[in-house]
Amino acid sequence: MAVCVAVIGKDNSPLYIGGIGNDSGSDNELSRQWLVHTALDALEERLTTTGNGAAGANANAARTDMRDLYLGLLYSTDTHKIYGYVTNTRIKLVLVTHSTSPSGSNIRDAEVRAALRRLHALYADAVCNPFHLPGDPINSQKFDKQVKNLMLNNV
Amino acid sequence: MATQPSDYTDFPPEIILKPLALIGLSGLDAVNNAVHKEIWDAFSNNRRPDRAAVRFKLLNNTFEFPVVKPKRNSYEWYIPKGILKKNWIQKRISLIPAVVVLFYDMEWNDPQWNEKIIECASKVQSIRAAVEGHATRVAVVVIQNGQSPPPSEYMLGAERAQALCSACEIQSKSLFVLPHSDHLMGYIVRLENAFYDIAQNYYHHETKNIKQHRDHLNKTTHQYLFVRHQFKLGYLNELKQDFSTAHKHYMHAYNNLLETRTVDTNMHEVRTVAGYINYKLCKLLFALNLPRDAIAQLKSHIERYKNRVGSTELLFEHYAWIARQYSAFGEIFDEAIRAGLPGIQSQHPGFYYQYAAQFTVKRRQAMRSVCSEATKYPPPPDPMEGIVEYYGQRPWRPGRLSADPHDPQKEQAAVLALQYNERVFNHSAMIISFLGCAISQFKTFHSPRMRKQLVVEMANEYYYSADYGKALTLLSHMLWDYRREKWWFLASHVLNRALQSAYLSAKIQDYVQLSIEALSKHIQVPNNDKSRIFKNIISVLNMNIPGPEPDVPINSQNKALEIWQMAIEKDPFVIAVEMVNITSFLEVKPKFKQQRYRMDEMVEVEIYVRLTFETVLEAIKALITISSASESIEIPVTQHGNDTITLEGGKVKRFLCHFKPNPHDNGSELHIKNVSFILGSEKKRKIIMNFKVDDNKAIEPAVHPELLHFILSPKADFEFDSIVPLTVASITPRECKLSISINNSSPALQGEWFPTTFTITNNEDSPVYDVKFALSLLSSPDNPNPESVTELSLKEGESQTQPLQIKAGAIHKASQYSISFYLKTNRTATATVQIKVSYLIDLPDISKLECVKDFSTKITVIKPFEVSTNFVAMNFKPISKCFVDDPFIVMPQIKILSPWDLLIVDTELELMDCFKYSDDTKPPSCISDLEVAEKNIASDAVCIQAKYKPKDTPTRVGLYNIKWRRKNNADGLCVMSSTALSGLPIDECPIAIEVNYPEVVEVQTSVPLKCTLIGKTNTPIRLSLTVEGTDFYMFSGYKKLAVTVPPKDRVELCYNIHPLLTGNTTPPRLKATVLGDTANQEVVREMFEKIFPQNIFVMPKYNK
Repeated sequence: MAVCVAVIGKDNSPLYIGGIGNDSGSDNELSRQWLVHTALDALEERLTTTGNGAAGANANAARTDMRDLYLGLLYSTDTHKIYGYVTNTRIKLVLVTHSTSPSGSNIRDAEVRAALRRLHALYADAVCNPFHLPGDPINSQKFDKQVKNLMLNNV
Repeated sequence: MATQPSDYTDFPPEIILKPLALIGLSGLDAVNNAVHKEIWDAFSNNRRPDRAAVRFKLLNNTFEFPVVKPKRNSYEWYIPKGILKKNWIQKRISLIPAVVVLFYDMEWNDPQWNEKIIECASKVQSIRAAVEGHATRVAVVVIQNGQSPPPSEYMLGAERAQALCSACEIQSKSLFVLPHSDHLMGYIVRLENAFYDIAQNYYHHETKNIKQHRDHLNKTTHQYLFVRHQFKLGYLNELKQDFSTAHKHYMHAYNNLLETRTVDTNMHEVRTVAGYINYKLCKLLFALNLPRDAIAQLKSHIERYKNRVGSTELLFEHYAWIARQYSAFGEIFDEAIRAGLPGIQSQHPGFYYQYAAQFTVKRRQAMRSVCSEATKYPPPPDPMEGIVEYYGQRPWRPGRLSADPHDPQKEQAAVLALQYNERVFNHSAMIISFLGCAISQFKTFHSPRMRKQLVVEMANEYYYSADYGKALTLLSHMLWDYRREKWWFLASHVLNRALQSAYLSAKIQDYVQLSIEALSKHIQVPNNDKSRIFKNIISVLNMNIPGPEPDVPINSQNKALEIWQMAIEKDPFVIAVEMVNITSFLEVKPKFKQQRYRMDEMVEVEIYVRLTFETVLEAIKALITISSASESIEIPVTQHGNDTITLEGGKVKRFLCHFKPNPHDNGSELHIKNVSFILGSEKKRKIIMNFKVDDNKAIEPAVHPELLHFILSPKADFEFDSIVPLTVASITPRECKLSISINNSSPALQGEWFPTTFTITNNEDSPVYDVKFALSLLSSPDNPNPESVTELSLKEGESQTQPLQIKAGAIHKASQYSISFYLKTNRTATATVQIKVSYLIDLPDISKLECVKDFSTKITVIKPFEVSTNFVAMNFKPISKCFVDDPFIVMPQIKILSPWDLLIVDTELELMDCFKYSDDTKPPSCISDLEVAEKNIASDAVCIQAKYKPKDTPTRVGLYNIKWRRKNNADGLCVMSSTALSGLPIDECPIAIEVNYPEVVEVQTSVPLKCTLIGKTNTPIRLSLTVEGTDFYMFSGYKKLAVTVPPKDRVELCYNIHPLLTGNTTPPRLKATVLGDTANQEVVREMFEKIFPQNIFVMPKYNK
């Protein structure tokens, strides 16, 4: 089960951070934000290494060809696993799960990939709102509800 | 290496020390003997990693080896008192050498050989006696002066070496000779390696000894011994530098230890030893270049012992132990990276330091929960006194294996003592130090945000340890980054802690700045109590002590009050806050109303201010700073004519400033530099809020400027959100009201001084004065450097430097001023003349305002005529070459292109050196004083001849100069145009021919014909001449003869010709062939061809 989902703008400012579960206290919110914020380190590192990797333009072309925006597992801590996804406009999507799910079975990579794709679609819908300004935090209730649903059901 | 904080969990130095084979050096007097000192220094100094893995110890005569324990034959009744003895490693690394080397000065040919050998042998004997019981090897090194040859080539030496070996009872391979000469270091390195080999042999022997014990052990009582022996084997193998075998044994030790039963009483010992073994394991794995295995080992190690907590009263010890495991691992990881292991962002020592810090935090929590009672150290006897023989055992019950504490009272006192020690331990310092290590690692491995988080944790730790100044410094740096990336939640967290720190350290500047930022809509404050913060700002302004921040430690609060009391009435009285750097409750957007202002206009600046915090804010003053090229001015912002400005929460206010531009700033730009609001009170403290405008990035809005217009912003707020600030405006000159008319007869002709008249009319409402004109040429794509080919002048025929400066003085209202100028250009292209007018004018509100206007006029330039040349022979037949001294005619033809009628005043042909006029005097021009119109062609003719044959064909015959002027400009200057006439090849003929052919003859009438051949060269020329007769004529004379033309002389040939028919006839012609030198054949043939006519007209004869 995803515990937290975040959308981060291209200037690395948070556009949306959503968490679920019984942890609504500010301490939890704090640790969640720390977690997402520090995940940016790993994200940026990935982006720079794919951006100007050894093969340079070739690798870049290959990357755009594949159109795989899913970056996979960024890193894991004792308690959490953090997955990353970057859109073509450098909007970063981050998904955090518990290291071990309550049922004991591990979360499959494909599920996370699907969830992040879905999140990308939801994000695209949300920013299509003519009243939304690109670069502003997303405060759409609908988006929030959809994301919460996504976190509960999908993974 | 970053220094690790120390406490009782520190690893003892002997565990951390890299095991090296111990070699004892005896018989060296390093203090008194210079040679010995040199040898010792060579052994002990400068031990680089490439040298043998040995450690040398200088043994003096009184050195005592540890006593050997009696050998145990059976372990049946032996119950070990602990796992690892503390002194065992110590013995291996400093007390029991693997090899003892005796150094002895002796030459093979020593006169007192016998005495020496006995002394040496006795020394060896005494060493043997000292090591009694240990298997330590003995070797002898004979120090010689290096002059005698080696024993292998030296019979006496070989013999005596043999004798020495047998006297000392050592093998010959344990005897070494050290020549003390030039290459000492080389000998030392070789000796060292030999010693190392012996040492390896020794350690191998030792391991065999230990292995023998194993058969005697049983699992029930000797579990500890399994661990101990395997550990010893591991260590000995490490001394032997056999890392993989060492790792194998340590692994056995580790696994055996896992199998021991742990209870509260031995828990501490087991995990201490487990920690040491794990440390050894990880270190070896890194040395074997298996970092992944090392990490896995640590993980499983922690996993296994995580839940073996031991006594809950001493829970903190468990966490302290885990923290130490992590930090020690971090250290060896770090060491490995420095030795060349690559680290990556997701796996580097920083994580382990971070874990160490985290578990130290847990340790402190545990301390808080279990040590609250331990307020003082237990009364004597001190339970912590006592010597402990084994690692990890308690001093108050050493060597006991049974689970139950034998003295509950003593036990209680001991626990109390430990708890008390824990209570007074400075956890924060330890956490800060771990975090410090982690921070530097995260920085190295490209994790700036992780680093920031740790810095914030570090600051928190400083805060807990009441070091508020340091906390504040760290937090304010971090706040900057979170603010920049707009992580407001994190920024709020940091800011609130910073605000607490600022309050507790009474730093007024920081306190005010943080408070102002806390009022921003982005920042969340505890209890959402922003009005309290606002009140605090006002209190500081009024020099009152602000109210305390919530949740500050109570004991610090009183101290804070004291320092506030001291600080509040002192500096700083002026607190300047750079508002652009922070987010705040005040938003300012300055804007020039127009992008461009004319000099005579009023510059207007609009300032929109929004106060987002719900309050009423009174600023005693507001200023806007505007800078231009010449100066920087401050303009007060006023509200209803007052300096005081009142802002209301949630509303946008608009202020308008206007000012006159400075006349010096004409053409330059104005920049809004700063907007500042000054908060003040009746006391002398002021808060200045500066909104600086950075030129480079203007005010960078959160949203793309183009998108700002889409923001839905309330009309009542002047649509504040949609305002795009405009901080740069340019000042343009006032509009000029002069007009110009230009009068000339274009097109201009190339080379003439072309007059142009322009007239300026003053259409201004007042007189203008100090009028100046500047005339210059503008370059254009087809005329890139007009100055080089075109001249401007105010006087005909006299060039002047450009631009032409003309001072016209004053021009009255509605009056005119005219000026003529001349332009002469040598290029047929359009010349553009710029006329720049500048003048001063007095306007009602500005006097002496300078106005400038540029006019320009285009003048087309064309060629007046075109000159082409024809060359003809004296009979007007076109020729393509001429001969020396053979006259011909040059005919320049002037084709008139000018639309204006011209008068050709005179023409002249200026000849090149190799030509001259055929006449003796210069002939007058045929076309002087000739009036010509467009499309006319004027032809001239000049007879010239070549003087000699130049080396190269002349490129031109000469310059043809035409003096002309416009016909209607009778009194103007004449223009001299020169054209180069094209060249003509010159040839040289060795002979010249003169023939008197008549033009016209009568039929049936004899005509004498004289042909003269003139020699031109210095050599005689032989010719064979033939007459080519025709049917039209009869002739008399030689038909074929050979003549010799003498040099510089002439030969005359006489013929009579008699025409027989009338009409155009071909006369008989002479043809010549050069005899001998045939080089001139062609020229001579051509010459004859040219001279003898093709035809003669024969008239009929009329009967008279």
